[in-house]
Amino acid sequence: MDCEKVRDRFSSLCEKELTPFEERAIKEHLSSCPACQKELEQFEKTMRWLHSVEDVEVPDGFLPGLYKKMKERKEITSAEKSGKRWLGLPFPLKLPAQAVAMVAIVFLVLYLTKMMPMRAYHPKETGQPSSPSSLEKKPEQVSADKEMKRERPNLQIAPGVPSRKDIGQAETAAPRKVEVPSSSMEVTKYQASDLKEAGRGKVPFSEEPERIEKGPSAREKLAFASKPAQEIVLRISDREKVISQLYKLAKQFGGEIITTEEDKFLASLPKSSFPQFEKELTRVSSSAGADRAIMRGRAMESAESESPGQVKKEIVEKKPATLATREESRMIVRIVLVQE
Amino acid sequence: MKTSPKVPREVIESCKAGDQKAFAEIVFQSQRKVFNIAYRMLGNSEEAKDLAQEVFISVFDSIKDLREEVKFDSWLTQITLNHCRNRWKYLKRRQYFNSDSLDDSIETEDGEVPSAVHDPSDNPEALYEKKMIRELVQRGLQKLREDQRELLVLRDLQGFSYDEICELLGLPEGTIKSKLHRARMDLKRVLEGFAH
Repeated sequence: MDCEKVRDRFSSLCEKELTPFEERAIKEHLSSCPACQKELEQFEKTMRWLHSVEDVEVPDGFLPGLYKKMKERKEITSAEKSGKRWLGLPFPLKLPAQAVAMVAIVFLVLYLTKMMPMRAYHPKETGQPSSPSSLEKKPEQVSADKEMKRERPNLQIAPGVPSRKDIGQAETAAPRKVEVPSSSMEVTKYQASDLKEAGRGKVPFSEEPERIEKGPSAREKLAFASKPAQEIVLRISDREKVISQLYKLAKQFGGEIITTEEDKFLASLPKSSFPQFEKELTRVSSSAGADRAIMRGRAMESAESESPGQVKKEIVEKKPATLATREESRMIVRIVLVQE
Repeated sequence: MKTSPKVPREVIESCKAGDQKAFAEIVFQSQRKVFNIAYRMLGNSEEAKDLAQEVFISVFDSIKDLREEVKFDSWLTQITLNHCRNRWKYLKRRQYFNSDSLDDSIETEDGEVPSAVHDPSDNPEALYEKKMIRELVQRGLQKLREDQRELLVLRDLQGFSYDEICELLGLPEGTIKSKLHRARMDLKRVLEGFAH
């Protein structure tokens, strides 16, 4: 047995795991090999040293320290769970959550937009373009009409034009709605009032109940119910043609048709272009081959009713102070088409 | 050879049920073994204390998953060894052991003492007193590879049987014995180096 093999068995020799034959062979080698003998001595000494090493005592305060650490760990864990739960979410969960949140925000914004008091004017309802500023004018416009009504209680209106009484009935609800226009409940109330009037057949813009749902909104009706600064009544025969020319003229003079309901139109015009617009409108009426009646205000109803079929143009000036448009340079004109 | 007292099965079951007193009992009975394994593996009392506390926190957190109560000691030792390995790597990355030369003072059970290496009298028995022997062994262990140190701590310092070591390390007995012998021979050389 060579030295290498003998030295490889030192552990087994110390732990007495060798067979008697192996043990005898190693001892024979050791007796004849001083180097291996010295190695064995060193090895045995190392083993003695190893086995002489005793356990050290656990430092004081081990268990309290452990409890303190556990408490701290628990607090950190609970803080992480409560505060950083979202950050700890795996990516596959985060993405759908973000998507759902995004959709919810979009719907919320849409809902809030719809519930806004100044609801955007929908051209589809009238088929005409309109600017948002025209809507903003309405409350002032209604208050202006109210003022006018107070000042001219005995004015008469032309045939086909809503009677003062009927308009007044419509207006009883209207100004209130304008003051607090955001309430959907009040809008409904207004519509109900209209329906009531329609049942009596007094309100000229009243419609069939089914049409009310599809037709102009309460806000638009409000605009009709309120009295504009200027009113023009046109007697016409070819309605479609006159209407198309009416739009053209409004556009031509820098104005626009704000709302329309059957044969009633509200137009917003620059003050300066009103006389010209009026003239042109008269011409339109003429070119349409029909008699025309243009009236400002409502004072000439009786005169018109006396001479139907004749072209009449009567003007009743209103107080400039009652023009309650937001932009003072503009005015509201009401145009009523009366079919011959 | 030292062995910690076996933790009774009832205590383990109570601890699994969340009994704090049972947990304290487990800590009381096992802290010496856990701390000493950690101390021999890391060579630093503070690090060993901290590591042993971490081990018991792990025990408290995961004892519910322990299926066989009879294997609690083996399970606890496995957790301790895993923590030691991780801590050793952590400290090594931070070059914690780099300053450890033969002339450095070393951490002892009673604090820091200067290294006693040179023996002017050529008398080993006079050179190494009992206490100094322990410190030299500790220092020699730090010079070995981690797996070698692990084997020496388990077998020669803590007195684990080969069967237990085989189960802990997942190696066959022959491999364990071979590796252990290599570790002992390397430690012998290291200790001889200290003496010269």
